[in-house]
Amino acid sequence: MNKLLTLILLLMSFNALADGIVVDRVYHPYVTVNEREFEWRFMSSQTDDKNILNQKLGYGHAIFEKVAVEFYIIGERDQNDNFAVSGYELESRIMLTEQGQYWADWGAVIELEKANANENYEASVGLLFEKEFTKTSLTLNLFGIYEWGKTIESEWETEFRLKYRYRYMPEIQPSIELYSGEDFVGIGPGFMGVHRIEGQRQIKWEAGFITEVAHSGKNHTFRFAFEYEF
Amino acid sequence: MGSIKPFSTIYSCITLLLLTASSLALAELKVFTLTLENHVFTPQEIQIPANQKVKLVIENKDDLAEEFDSFDLNRERVIFANKKASIYIGPLEPGRYEFFGEFNPHTARGYVVVKEENKDD
Repeated sequence: MNKLLTLILLLMSFNALADGIVVDRVYHPYVTVNEREFEWRFMSSQTDDKNILNQKLGYGHAIFEKVAVEFYIIGERDQNDNFAVSGYELESRIMLTEQGQYWADWGAVIELEKANANENYEASVGLLFEKEFTKTSLTLNLFGIYEWGKTIESEWETEFRLKYRYRYMPEIQPSIELYSGEDFVGIGPGFMGVHRIEGQRQIKWEAGFITEVAHSGKNHTFRFAFEYEF
Repeated sequence: MGSIKPFSTIYSCITLLLLTASSLALAELKVFTLTLENHVFTPQEIQIPANQKVKLVIENKDDLAEEFDSFDLNRERVIFANKKASIYIGPLEPGRYEFFGEFNPHTARGYVVVKEENKDD
């Protein structure tokens, strides 16, 4: 347990800023052979003076036994309240250790995002961690992010995400989620679930309602994601 | 905008790796074997000791792949046709943990039965 606390404190000690919505999904360090999926992610963040809406539509495929790639089209609401495609993202998830073989399970995620209009880019590398405690699982993500482009200042950023989940039943797995970047620490309840249809066909869902706790003022983020695996 | 200190990052990454490496030295695991043939697991109940991590080796003798799936065990693993795969489970509390083959869930089913080890054994 001391080892785990050390790890969490270490990961939270990263304290640089991540732009936009820090709340996203918490990645698990696993890849299933032959997995293919369509994914829809929705994130809406409400502060005292604005609402940020971000959605992603993605298609993913496991290209090797332990490597999956996913391509996303990203949509955001702009300053004129118009929702439009704002960029594209390529993501690769890598399963580094076999589930359950070691004290904890490890994985990695690599992402490259291009903004549609201004030739702005964001590249990130994430370290994924999961540890089982009987019917519960603790998942940690640490991201190092580099941004550059014509209209943004080049910079490094970091993000930290945590999910502690109770595997109550396949359809309902309640959790507590925590997200942090500089100037943002958010925490709130979430849940995920899976419904098996037949064979490898299944629907997965997850949602969370995250409240910013580091500052006064309103900052709530609602997120959900649906995946159809086949 | 914040910028992270490179040395701090490197130090943290090294510490993470050390934390992992310190956990890699596993004690000798008990190995249990399951066979999948004609889309049926044999044995259909396999007994393992409580509170110990064990290695489950599954041999797929069929000409089609199967996916070992268990919400109870929190495991999901594809076993290619005519191949073996290892799944690490536990430490588990005493009880019955169901598993099934995702492609043939009506026939490929079984239980891992976890029991306290008899000290006299």
